[in-house]
Amino acid sequence: MSQDLVELDVRPVLRSGGEPFGVIMQTVSELKPGQGIRLLATFEPVPLVAVLARRGFEHEAREIGNGDWEVIFRPDAATRVRLSTATSPNSEPTSWPDPSVELDDRGLEPPEPMVNILAALQSMQPGEVLAARLLREPIFLFPELKDRGHHWAGRFTGDGSIYEIRILVGGGANG
Amino acid sequence: MTGVSLSRWTLIYFVTALLSLIVAEALMVLGFGYPAAGIGDPETLVLVHLLAIGWLSLLMLGAMFQFVPVLVAAPLRHPELQLPAWALLVAGLLALLAGFLQLSGALDFLPLMLPIGATLLFMGFVTAAISLIATLFASMPLGLPARFVLLGLGGLAAVATLGWLFAGTLSGLLQHPFFGALVGNSVPFHAALGLGAWLSISAMGVTHRLVPMFLLAPDKARETGYFTWWASLIAAVSLAVGAFVAPGKPIFASIMAVIAVIMALGALAAYGADILHYYRSRARKIIEPNSRMAAWAISTFAASGILVAGLLVAGRLGAFVAPVVYLVAMGWLSGLGLSQLVKIVPFVTWLECYGTVLGKMPTPRVQDLVVEMRLLRLLATYFISVFAGAGALALGWPLVFRLAVAVTLGATLLIGRELYRVRRLKDVPDDKRRLAPVPLPRLVFASSQRPST
Repeated sequence: MSQDLVELDVRPVLRSGGEPFGVIMQTVSELKPGQGIRLLATFEPVPLVAVLARRGFEHEAREIGNGDWEVIFRPDAATRVRLSTATSPNSEPTSWPDPSVELDDRGLEPPEPMVNILAALQSMQPGEVLAARLLREPIFLFPELKDRGHHWAGRFTGDGSIYEIRILVGGGANG
Repeated sequence: MTGVSLSRWTLIYFVTALLSLIVAEALMVLGFGYPAAGIGDPETLVLVHLLAIGWLSLLMLGAMFQFVPVLVAAPLRHPELQLPAWALLVAGLLALLAGFLQLSGALDFLPLMLPIGATLLFMGFVTAAISLIATLFASMPLGLPARFVLLGLGGLAAVATLGWLFAGTLSGLLQHPFFGALVGNSVPFHAALGLGAWLSISAMGVTHRLVPMFLLAPDKARETGYFTWWASLIAAVSLAVGAFVAPGKPIFASIMAVIAVIMALGALAAYGADILHYYRSRARKIIEPNSRMAAWAISTFAASGILVAGLLVAGRLGAFVAPVVYLVAMGWLSGLGLSQLVKIVPFVTWLECYGTVLGKMPTPRVQDLVVEMRLLRLLATYFISVFAGAGALALGWPLVFRLAVAVTLGATLLIGRELYRVRRLKDVPDDKRRLAPVPLPRLVFASSQRPST
């Protein structure tokens, strides 16, 4: 995946005896969802790899001559899904497959839509997507989805009278 | 989009509130306070504050801890404040009631309980409000129902401050003549701020969300909703100005009162139109007991408004203030509270017991936790006896009033029994209970199934 990478060359900082960790973390915190970093350094930054792994980045490092290293950090798979749902709830998670189950729960009184959705999810496989239309944002459903390891994205559509949610069934969901 | 979990301590607010209502009703049956005593006598003040703080305010705050996060679709901020706020409020209420009894000459051996009680109550309200207001402020801009809640909390600040100044003055701690004038003039404003600005405005916000939700009606805010809010704001501000600025200026106080009444009636009319719209545009054919009884409560609110307007025009409001206040407190606010309690308690109990196993096994539905026909009959009995009680007050029949309250008390006790049965899952049919065996929930708080959140 050659998605957009922010290039950060810390070699001048390192050569002048500076400490680039601050500027690297600053750049990381300013990344848009799905963005990664192409980092140029004078050595292989092993400690940084560990720090960014904890923040949900996978890495590729290679020596590019003169003892310099290029390290590419990209959001790992889990982070891509989480970022697309957590930071942009109003955008469709484009990397998800088409829904294999679609529910119209608009005629159901709360909390029946929640019961209906959780029951449907139970018979689905990890990686499948459920789409549902509701009249209200199912706020008591979200903690249950989180507990069961599913990912979701939802939004009010059109004039705001219908809430559409898509749920990506997570691994180990049926445990 | 993190969602909302159960409010841990809402139930202890509900239990304490219901106990306060039961004690207040029992006192009325025994002939304690008005009409045997005067409307401003210490005994009546005990009764009024037991209802306004012990029952209605604790009920409202307990509901808000669960409901405000629902309104803004975000977790409650500072949930750890729920229990300290409750303890301060209960201690403050008990001290305040003791303080009123001291005014009547009883309990002379105790230190000044009135300012102690008022101070504890003020601290309790502030503690609860910090959590609620922080939750609201983290979710700006607010939807219409949440704006009503914010306005209601503003009313609470005004009424609690005024009450604290009264307590300080009556106990001799505050000696400036201004405070004497405050006690002399602002008691009606205190009552109107409590029942109107705090409780009624908050209740309007709650119903703006709950009524359409249970009726499956579109709840997009309408012009009338915004009008209601602005008119309520002007009414509440007029009351606060009348209370704090007007002492010693009777004409100014009257002007503020007139503005407040006109704005309140306008707000009530627009609110009534919105509620009618919800019921007319509902997608649900069958109206459940809680929605049907909420309609009774809201109709009582509307009827009280019409009564106030009529009595003002006739110049007779002073003579009938007691039955009108009784209708507002016991019919509108308490009736609404009870009709929603019988829905909220089963829902939170269901979610607590079955939330984590939903979808994994067949579970009872929320309505399996209650016997709806029994609830409907009890709530109808409650309302009819409240109407009878208000009528008896209006006609000056104290014995009939006490008999009517006895029926109200019986209905309240039986509704309390129903809620106990809900918490014990006693009405879940055996076959459905066997489908999903779950541990019984605690009576007064929700167990946290998610220690991580």
